[in-house]
Parts: sequence; structure tokens; C-alpha cells
Amino acid sequence: MNDLRAVLWVARKDLLQESRSKAVTVATVFFSAVTLGVLAFAFGENPLLLREGAMGALWVALAFAGVISAAQSWQADLEDGALEALLVWPVPRAAVYLGKLLANWGLMTALGALLLPVAAGLYGAPLGPGLLLLLLVIAAGTLGFALIAVFYAGLTANLRARESLLPVLMFPVVVPILLAAVRASNAIVGSGDLALADAWLRLLVGFDLVYAVVCLALFRFVVEA
Amino acid sequence: MTDPAVRLRRPTWLRVYFALTFAAFAVAAAYGLVWSPRDVTQGDLIRIMYAHVSVAWIGFVAVGLTAVFGALYLWRGNRRDDVLAVASGEMGLFFSSLTIIGGMTYSRPTLNTFWTWDAKLTLTAIMVALMVGYFIVRGLIDDPVRRGRVSAVVALVAAASLPFNYLAAEWFRTLHPAKSVALDGSGVTMDGTMLAVLLLNTAVAGMIYLGFMLDRVRIGRVEAELEAARMAPAPAPGGVKEVVRV
Repeated sequence: MNDLRAVLWVARKDLLQESRSKAVTVATVFFSAVTLGVLAFAFGENPLLLREGAMGALWVALAFAGVISAAQSWQADLEDGALEALLVWPVPRAAVYLGKLLANWGLMTALGALLLPVAAGLYGAPLGPGLLLLLLVIAAGTLGFALIAVFYAGLTANLRARESLLPVLMFPVVVPILLAAVRASNAIVGSGDLALADAWLRLLVGFDLVYAVVCLALFRFVVEA
Repeated sequence: MTDPAVRLRRPTWLRVYFALTFAAFAVAAAYGLVWSPRDVTQGDLIRIMYAHVSVAWIGFVAVGLTAVFGALYLWRGNRRDDVLAVASGEMGLFFSSLTIIGGMTYSRPTLNTFWTWDAKLTLTAIMVALMVGYFIVRGLIDDPVRRGRVSAVVALVAAASLPFNYLAAEWFRTLHPAKSVALDGSGVTMDGTMLAVLLLNTAVAGMIYLGFMLDRVRIGRVEAELEAARMAPAPAPGGVKEVVRV
């Protein structure tokens, strides 16, 4: 119970810090919007191609933004030895991880919900009747992404070359999650095949569970030194 | 401690082992290339399968063992486990890279493409990327204890994606041929001779893995001793941090 409170306190601290500095919000919202625009140029003018690429572009934008968000959440704590202070707090290390995960997940889900209509508009993709399921897919996908991103951002927080190292380490791990999320979103937006989307969503939740167990079990070794 | 230069010399028993491995490899290659029957549909191309599948299996074992030794290191903190993990990791990277090269060689004439975004292929490529990340991380951390721990964590996460890789062929029915040997006992859909040749090739790939493991562990131990000796006389800068931590 006490540990659960600790999780919420860490999440609250991160979100409060974010609400005051707006460092992540400013960086991710504009960065992901620009990514959507650039990818739209890359797809060209064919409306069919654009519509089919809409959800892929959305997830690419979300993935890049997620890396920034996760890295920033540890970066902010490196200043003035705040991380050390956080780690001497007598709660399990996993509570710190879960708190940061919660904050990151919240930010990314909000970003996903915000980008969804933008992507739909820019790429001419009708959202249709599966909107609720699509939001579920975004929540499950960003959860899996945040699980890995926060974990590896903690691992690389005090390493040299962390900015380039974080994507190199985490993207291979996160590919199954992105794959399932893109396939599920495409099934909803493209063909409207909700049964297929449901199958991919289940797989996505399965990946989330596995990675949650692995990351929670291993996190105490990540920030030890 | 014996002089490292002397210890770096490969011992006789290991030389004998490598000679035996080479002989066994020659026999297995002869079986695969000459004495095994042609496939009904693939003809002589089936012979690539013996090298490809055996290497892929051992690659999985190597990456899995890297994670196992990493877990042991996290558990016991014994440097020896870290040395074993690195040795197995290098072989894992080597064998999974070979798996991709062999798979491309095999799939171009049989499936008419070098590469397809099939789940099994994708996840094998991911495995290579993960092992590359493992060695990048190792190269960035100077403190041996922290290096061992962090890389063990990376290896364990890498291994967590291994079950997906193995089951992928069943989950996503795509271009990759379904497995002909099921481990759950549901049977083998492969000619008996072919299966025997495949198992022989796998055993030889295992021998090659073991030989290089033993050699690499031998070198790794000397490396660890040299590193410990180099770090010992300096007034440990980590010591101050320890006080703060406690």
C-alpha cells in the first residue's frame, strides 16, 4: 500500500515538474507534428497511399516523441543530484520505475489522442466506428513503448553518448509492440476489420505483460550504480 | 598467477578438441552435401537447410545462455559468470548473423526473395541488433561490476524476445516455412535420413560453439585478471561515491 503511494508520488512529481517546465510537451507535440508532416511529404500525393500510411506515420511520430519524453524524465533528475536523492528514498526501486512509467504513459497517451485527429486529417483517413478500440490500441501501444523506453532511459541515464544509445538499444526491443500496434490500428482505420484488430490488440497486451514483468524484475539492477 | 603471455597460449587439449571438431564438421558436411537424399520439391537446395537450421538453433541457444549467465551474474556477482556471458554473447551474435546470411542464401532460390518482413526473419534481425547493443553498452562502461550488471540486464531483455521469435512461425502464418520438427512431441514431418543429418549438423554446430566458448572463456579470464590488476593500485574513485550511497 505504501509502495503504491510511492508510485503515485513519483508520477505526481514528474507530472508536476512537466506542468511547470513544459519541456517534454513543447518538444514532443511540435516534433511529432513535424514528423507527421515530413512523412506525408515522403508518401507523396496518392490519396490511397496516404490513407494506408496514416497509422504507420502516427506510430512513428509517437515512437520518436516517446524517446524524447523518456530520456527527459531521467535527464531532469540528473540535475543537482535529484536522482540520488530519489534513489535513497526507502521504497523499492520498482516504485520509482512505475512512477516514471505512469507519468510517461500518461503523456504519451495524451499525445496519441491529440495526434490521432491530426493524422486522420493530414492523411485523409476516416476514423470511423472503431474509434474507441483505436484509443484502446493507442493506450496499450504507448504502455508497451513507455515500459521499454523508461527502462532503457534509466539504464543509459548516466552513460556517455546516451542520446544516440537510447534509440539503438530500445528500438529493437520495442519492434514487436510497434508492429502489433500498427497492425491493429491499420485493421481499424483501413479495412474496418474489428475482429482482426482485436486479435492484434490481444497480442499487444501480451507483449505488454511480458515486458512489464521483465522490466519490473530487472529494474533494481539498472539504477544501482 | 602465471604469466598471462604463457596462459594465453592455447592448451593442448583444446587444440585436440578443435581438431576433432573439424573432423566432425567434415563428416557432417559430407553427409549434408553428398549422402543425404535430394528433396522432392527443393532438390539439392535442401542441403543449405542443414547448415541454416543447425546454425539458427545454436544461435538461439547461445543468446539464451548469455542471458542465463547474465542472470547468474546478477544473482551471485561472480565475475566468472560475466566472462561466460560475454563468450556466449559473442557466439550468439556470430551465429545469429550467420543465420540471417544462411537464410538469405536459402530463401533466394526457394522462395524467390532475399528478404521478407516475415516475423521470424524480423525477430532474428532484432536479435542481432540486440546483441550489437549488448556489446555497445559493454564498451561504454568502465567499471567491471556495473558493466556486468547492465549488460546482463540487456541480455535478459534480449532473451525475453526469444520465445516470440520461436513461436512467431506459428503466430503469424507468413512466407517462412512452418517448422518441420515440433518440440511438443506432436511429431516430425521430415524424412528420417534428413532428420538424422540435420541433427548431426546441429551437434557439430554445438561442438563449434562449445570450442569457441572454451577458448573465449580462457581469454576472458586473463582479461579479467589484467583489468583487476590495472584497477587495483589506483585510489578507487568509486570509493567516495560508496560512502555517499551508504
